[in-house]
Amino acid sequence: MAELQNSAIFAPRVIEEIQAKAESGLYAIRGFGTLRERRWPTFDDLTFLPCSLTRIPLEGYREKCSTKTVLGTRFAQKPIQLDIPVMITGMSWGALSYNAKVALARGAAAAGSSNTTGDGGMLKAERDNSRTLIYEVLPSRYGINIHHMRMADAIELTIGQGAKPGTGGLLLGTKVSDRIAEQRDLPIGVDQRSAARHPDFLGPDDMIIKVEELREATDWQIPIFIKLGASRVYDDVKLAAKAGADVIVVDGMEGGTGASPAIFQEHTGLPTLAAVCEARSALQDIGLYGDVQLIIAGGIRDGVDAAKAMALGADACYIGTASLIALNCNKPMYEDDYRAIGAAPYACHHCHTGRCPVGITTQDPELMKRLEVEDGAERVRNFLQVMTLEIQMLARSCGKSDVHHLEPEDMAALSLEASAICGVPLVGTRKVFGH
Amino acid sequence: MVEIDAAGRTTREVNRAIRQRIAESCKEVVLRNPGARHNLAVAILEDAHIRIAGSAGYYCGGLIDGPSIEVEGSAGWGLAESMLSGTVRVHGSAGSGAAAAVRGGTVVIHGDAAARLGVSMKGGIVIVAGNCGYMAGFMAQKGTLIVCGNAGEAFADSMYATVCYVGGEIANLGTDAVIAPIDAGEAQQLEKILSTHLPATLRSTKPAAADFKKVVAGRKLWNFDKREWRTWQEAL
Ligand SMILES: Cc1cc2nc3c(=O)[nH]c(=O)nc-3n(C[C@H](O)[C@H](O)[C@H](O)COP(=O)(O)O)c2cc1C
Ligand code: SF4
Repeated sequence: MAELQNSAIFAPRVIEEIQAKAESGLYAIRGFGTLRERRWPTFDDLTFLPCSLTRIPLEGYREKCSTKTVLGTRFAQKPIQLDIPVMITGMSWGALSYNAKVALARGAAAAGSSNTTGDGGMLKAERDNSRTLIYEVLPSRYGINIHHMRMADAIELTIGQGAKPGTGGLLLGTKVSDRIAEQRDLPIGVDQRSAARHPDFLGPDDMIIKVEELREATDWQIPIFIKLGASRVYDDVKLAAKAGADVIVVDGMEGGTGASPAIFQEHTGLPTLAAVCEARSALQDIGLYGDVQLIIAGGIRDGVDAAKAMALGADACYIGTASLIALNCNKPMYEDDYRAIGAAPYACHHCHTGRCPVGITTQDPELMKRLEVEDGAERVRNFLQVMTLEIQMLARSCGKSDVHHLEPEDMAALSLEASAICGVPLVGTRKVFGH
Repeated sequence: MVEIDAAGRTTREVNRAIRQRIAESCKEVVLRNPGARHNLAVAILEDAHIRIAGSAGYYCGGLIDGPSIEVEGSAGWGLAESMLSGTVRVHGSAGSGAAAAVRGGTVVIHGDAAARLGVSMKGGIVIVAGNCGYMAGFMAQKGTLIVCGNAGEAFADSMYATVCYVGGEIANLGTDAVIAPIDAGEAQQLEKILSTHLPATLRSTKPAAADFKKVVAGRKLWNFDKREWRTWQEAL
């Protein structure tokens, strides 16, 4: 007898999803980011071309290869100076537990890097434990406080996120605890849907005035970042540069999230690889490449992804999910608690439930205790340092004495699409396809 | 009292001059020739009175904590946005997003306010003696929003715990906004707020506190419920 066949269109997962919607009357909301197999070109479609006879490598473990990273040289009096080009991205206290926020701050500081507040304002302990703190100004303006802004080393004006461009944040009621509600000026336990638009400007022209306001508020001392969810990146980057950004953050569709509609994570935005290429072209075309620094985020897993992003034009990378994984996200421990929320180690994307088995994305004091701040900070520091070593190893092998000298020329494409997107030759040819 | 002339100076120079005067313990600063310039008197954190002798542009008094700012003309978008405490008074009218995201303090507008008055406000008191445009109180979280005249469309849409009062007509209520009764104690409190913050001549032309309509959130959007599907579908 012929084997029974599943429909490829109405595959078991699709059937499950339809029936879940029919049952709950609600679209799926979850954390983590896109779960799909990536059929689009990614950083994995590129390979480095280290030195052989045409180029001379630097001694892998000995010769200097600078990782110093300076951001905000365009207008700010005090640009940010980091020891490494990998930074911790903005994740809200609310989405993350107190311990997670403090561990990230301490780990980043120990590695000579920065961390960023998030959609809920600044936590004092976060400032106290960070070396360089970036203060996010989001459409919701939760917890907005001029005194905190003045304590920051940079401001990030967020227009969108890669996991959900064009829509606001979500924090389900289970996570709106009394402390979080107080910090955000909300009633306890509401399903908090943040605004998608800023309350006091609408488009790129009045954003110019907003940027000036933030500069006036901080006396033109600290850099202003503008963060974009990768959508029409080429045009958006030009507009952000026109608005006066010192630094532009582009967050690709692989970007992580604490909670968003699943359809946004899976079906909106540009992949990170394409986003960095469009962002670089935009800055080059308006003559600001190098003057306006570029930070790339979205699915960066290791020093290899970061090095490729940098070779394609990024000055630095933000990591979110990878830093949470360093804190033990998805680690096989407390397995019953993963099961209790319908997840399993390596297959958990249940940050939205507030029942994070490893104490990272929860407001439950008992669960939070599972994340020990000192240990967590140590792991974050180690991970940031290893990522940096990986970037340096690749840079040295390509003959660079500074990781920021990596360039597209140091790579070849493993697929036709990647060649066309990145403007580098396809392996086995000397052709850049589509150019 | 000191006077600062904004004519011929950049915004940065004007704001620096204001801050410097206040740092020199000057409690009263008058800004001449403001020219409807944007970002005047932003992020002032001291207790001082700043009088803007004319109109101001966007974000006047934005991000302040403590001062009292008076605009003798009108103000542009984002008046007093994100203020923590203090008072911002506009003798003319205010553009869109007046008192956006304020967390405390008092904003008083003698004329009209355009769209999105008090959007995302998180505390404080906002009073408009005239009318306001559409979507006032959108996603407002806490605090008190008072409109003595008429309110535009989609009033008080998707609110959390802000309480609104309207003296005139409401074009229509936003999603999840509901009219609630005002009891005598509340009317008294409202009257106290109005007579404290509005000049007597202006107060006398406005309705009695007991005749104001009170608008609050119906709380149907606070937590998702499949039985309220229509409300969610229509939520702005
Ligand atoms: C738990 C969590 C919470 C987040 N919260 C915020 C936030 O408050 N504001 C924001 O701009 N982005 C937020 N993001 C998005 C990150 O800043 C960043 O853009 C994204 O995580 C980068 O992708 P990656 O996680 O793949 O590194 C959050 C991400 C995660 C995983
Ligand atoms: S382990 Fe925690 S942080 Fe990681 S995906 Fe699950 S709930 Fe989110």
